[in-house]
Amino acid sequence: MEYYLLILLAGLAGSMHCVGMCGGFACILGRDGRGRLATLARHLVYNLGRVTSYCFMGVCVGYLGLLLVGHGGDDTWGSLAQRTLALLSGMLMLYIGLQFLGVMPRPAGPLAGFDWLASGLRQLTRSTRPGAPLALGVLNGFLPCPLVYAFLAQAAGSGGPLSGLLIMATFGLGTFPAMLAMGGIGWWTGARRAQPVAVPVPTPTPSMGAGSLLSGADWRQRGVQIAGGFIVLLGVVTVARGLLPLGAHLH
Amino acid sequence: MQEHPLNATPLCDHCRLPVGRLAHPRTLNGTDHWFCCYGCCLAYQVHQGSTEEPEAAQWLIRLGVGAFLAMNIMLFSLLLYADAFSASDPRVSALVPWLLWALATPLLVVLGGPFLQGAWRAGRAGRMTADTLVSVGILAAYLYSGWRVLQGSDQVYFDTVAMVLILFTLGRYLEARGRLQAMRSLAPMLAAERAEVRVSTPIGESVRTVDRIRPGDVVVIEPGECIAVDGEVISGWSECDESIVSGQPELQPKTPGDAVHAGSLNGSGRLRVRASVFGNQTRWIRISRLVREALGRKSLLGETVDRVAGYFLPLVLTLAVATFLFWASRSGLDTALLASLSVLVVACPCALGLAGPLASSLGIGCAAQRGVLIRGAGVLERLGRLRGIAFDKTGTLTLGKPRVMALRVHDCNETRLLSIASSLSLGSKHPAARAVVTHAAALEIRADAAEGIRVRPGAGAIGRVGSVEAAIGSRALMVSLGWFLPTALDAIDARNGWTRVYVGWDGRVHGCLALADTPRPEAAGVVSELRARGLDLLLLSGDGPTPVERLAKRLDIPRWHAGLDPEGKAAFIRDWMRQCGSVAMVGDGLNDGPVLAAASVGIAVGGGTDLAKESADLVLPDDGLAMLPWVLDLAREVRRSIRANLVWAFGYNAAALSLAAAGLLQPVLAAALMAGSSLVIVARTLHGRSGAEVAAESPGASRATGTARVSRASGARI
Repeated sequence: MEYYLLILLAGLAGSMHCVGMCGGFACILGRDGRGRLATLARHLVYNLGRVTSYCFMGVCVGYLGLLLVGHGGDDTWGSLAQRTLALLSGMLMLYIGLQFLGVMPRPAGPLAGFDWLASGLRQLTRSTRPGAPLALGVLNGFLPCPLVYAFLAQAAGSGGPLSGLLIMATFGLGTFPAMLAMGGIGWWTGARRAQPVAVPVPTPTPSMGAGSLLSGADWRQRGVQIAGGFIVLLGVVTVARGLLPLGAHLH
Repeated sequence: MQEHPLNATPLCDHCRLPVGRLAHPRTLNGTDHWFCCYGCCLAYQVHQGSTEEPEAAQWLIRLGVGAFLAMNIMLFSLLLYADAFSASDPRVSALVPWLLWALATPLLVVLGGPFLQGAWRAGRAGRMTADTLVSVGILAAYLYSGWRVLQGSDQVYFDTVAMVLILFTLGRYLEARGRLQAMRSLAPMLAAERAEVRVSTPIGESVRTVDRIRPGDVVVIEPGECIAVDGEVISGWSECDESIVSGQPELQPKTPGDAVHAGSLNGSGRLRVRASVFGNQTRWIRISRLVREALGRKSLLGETVDRVAGYFLPLVLTLAVATFLFWASRSGLDTALLASLSVLVVACPCALGLAGPLASSLGIGCAAQRGVLIRGAGVLERLGRLRGIAFDKTGTLTLGKPRVMALRVHDCNETRLLSIASSLSLGSKHPAARAVVTHAAALEIRADAAEGIRVRPGAGAIGRVGSVEAAIGSRALMVSLGWFLPTALDAIDARNGWTRVYVGWDGRVHGCLALADTPRPEAAGVVSELRARGLDLLLLSGDGPTPVERLAKRLDIPRWHAGLDPEGKAAFIRDWMRQCGSVAMVGDGLNDGPVLAAASVGIAVGGGTDLAKESADLVLPDDGLAMLPWVLDLAREVRRSIRANLVWAFGYNAAALSLAAAGLLQPVLAAALMAGSSLVIVARTLHGRSGAEVAAESPGASRATGTARVSRASGARI
């Protein structure tokens, strides 16, 4: 239980990263012309789509982990495979967590191949069709994101689809409040569906001044670092699971 | 990449967090940006972009909503396969198949709808397409699974339904996107035919449709209006944009006596024009009509996937019936029905839906990165099995404008001759005059504008240069002036088809220039590379036989045809297509429009007329003739990849079909086979893409290698 609480907290802190990267989508979704309830529904549906994508990926990698280590963990071979998997996924988490903490450099070189996703999301933010928020959320969930990768590593290391699902669902729930709040900001600033605005919080405007911008960035940077701390902690736990004797249960 | 303007740690342009030591610098729309990660870079592009693509958006929403349902189905199916519910209450695990059914039903409506409709339409027309194959597969899986749920079993194929639908919808989305990016803009062609024009009559102005214009009618053209008639300016002054007709990007000045062409755009002045032909017989309208006819004929060609499905489906149905009969005679109706249904379930090769669109869209994207526009997957396919290429001459294989080839002087030096010739030619837009000015400028010869220039249309020009009366023009002009012409000048090396221009002053001719259109420097290399690829080459031109034959000999093109009008070229190409299959035509001019539309693949060279670009299936960038061999290699690579993928897909399906017919197919096995085949296809296609990029390094594509290297670096981590 404490284990999932840790993931939830990491998700909460990590959502400071989400706010910067994906918060803009939530803002653009803005408000629904049919009232507050409809607006809330839009945002819930968008976030549901996003978390579903995470869960799906969690189950897939969890199933892959299961295929790798096999069902039973008692025989020597199964236990060895399980330990190796835990070690690898823990180290991947450590690597990403240290990046978030700013200790390690981020990988160099731009990725490509997701550009079609970007142009697709652009169309969706402009569409007024009822399915658009859900579709936006689903595709948003597949945007490349180091935070998601860290927890996917955890899900793969957990060695089962159900635990993979739970890990990703918990992480997704952790990012829920912040992303919903971003939607609220979009609603509050009066962003209408037909007139998408730029990301309100991070965009510097003359009236905001450099001070408020920097303090905003500082505040979010701290959140990202806290998330990095949680990920490192989870990574350490996972690595330990691979190294320590079977009897020692850390969660 | 240049340094960031601030020396302090820059902030990500999207999320405003510090970018860190190894940031992602990207240049978007000409401005430099910094991003902390690739995700932010994408998100930034989403917010800043302005293109609207409604058709593709509609498929994308379908895809997104469908993916939501499908992911839930897959998620619970995987949990089911992994026995994740075995520890919990048996009542919970009994609910899962019902949940899957509840999710699969809206999925069938949202994603399956378009395929079922397509299959229904094709069925009513007595045809079987890929839609039919998909529909049979998903309906069989859905109905079978529903029946099993009612029986209380958890052996259900709902995840197969989800996978088939998602993969095929993804393929459709990629196609829709590609179509939008390469849309033809035929609006100007239609506009010219329906235009209304203001006719000036003795009793005032009246408005008529263009088809009621007769030769001799006086038409008034307002500033900014599209010109709808061929004729001659009788009063007014303006500058016209004739790029759609002539391909020249510069505005052409129009004064009384100048010709105007239908299809071009009037500039800032009001013109009165006397029509020279009937309104519905302008060159623009005749050619537009030919282009539209040819394009209409081409759109009737069938798609490969549909053809393949047409062969495959009867086989599958036969196999399903045979399976049913076999098992019915042995183990009863229930087993027989199950086995025959599972044959139908796995019959639909998922990879068929994705293999083609994915490989084609990657190929088209790869070409687009180098400025080559390919209009659709079909074009790439026809290009892949190309047997021959026909070339237009002027502007395509040649530079399309004359150059000074030889020079001979008498009683003066070359510098003085060129200086005077250039002075007389400075103000003229005649191609020969431009060639003289360009030649003199290249040799850095100074020329002051002549005074009192009098132009003799079709002959030359006379004017004062410094203290002398000078003239430039044809032999006839010199004779009419009565100037002495030394015979030594006629000995100039002016072969057939070369134009001679004489220059004289003070009552005698002092020099002669020979002008000719020259082949593009890369033409010979391209021709030999294409021959090395086993293609039949042909030269088609509207010019006289002598220059065409000379060019053909010089470039080593075995066959040529001269003196062809637009319709003649198109007819010739159609004949050739009947003889040897898929052939391409390369051209750039207005006259090439119909033949480009008629050929299996019409290839326009950039810098050509707008009509040529819109009629073509493939548009090369400016001076992009050298890229032709590379594009061909790319198309062949894509075709190879698609064929290999189809073999893989059918191989997988044959294995699955035999398992199903033997009654051995389990849902988890069906899902694994389907996912496995799709993964193999995607991996193979992405691998093929890197193969295509190796082809980009061929010597012919030297001007494109810079971009190739960039895209290779960025494409390395897909």
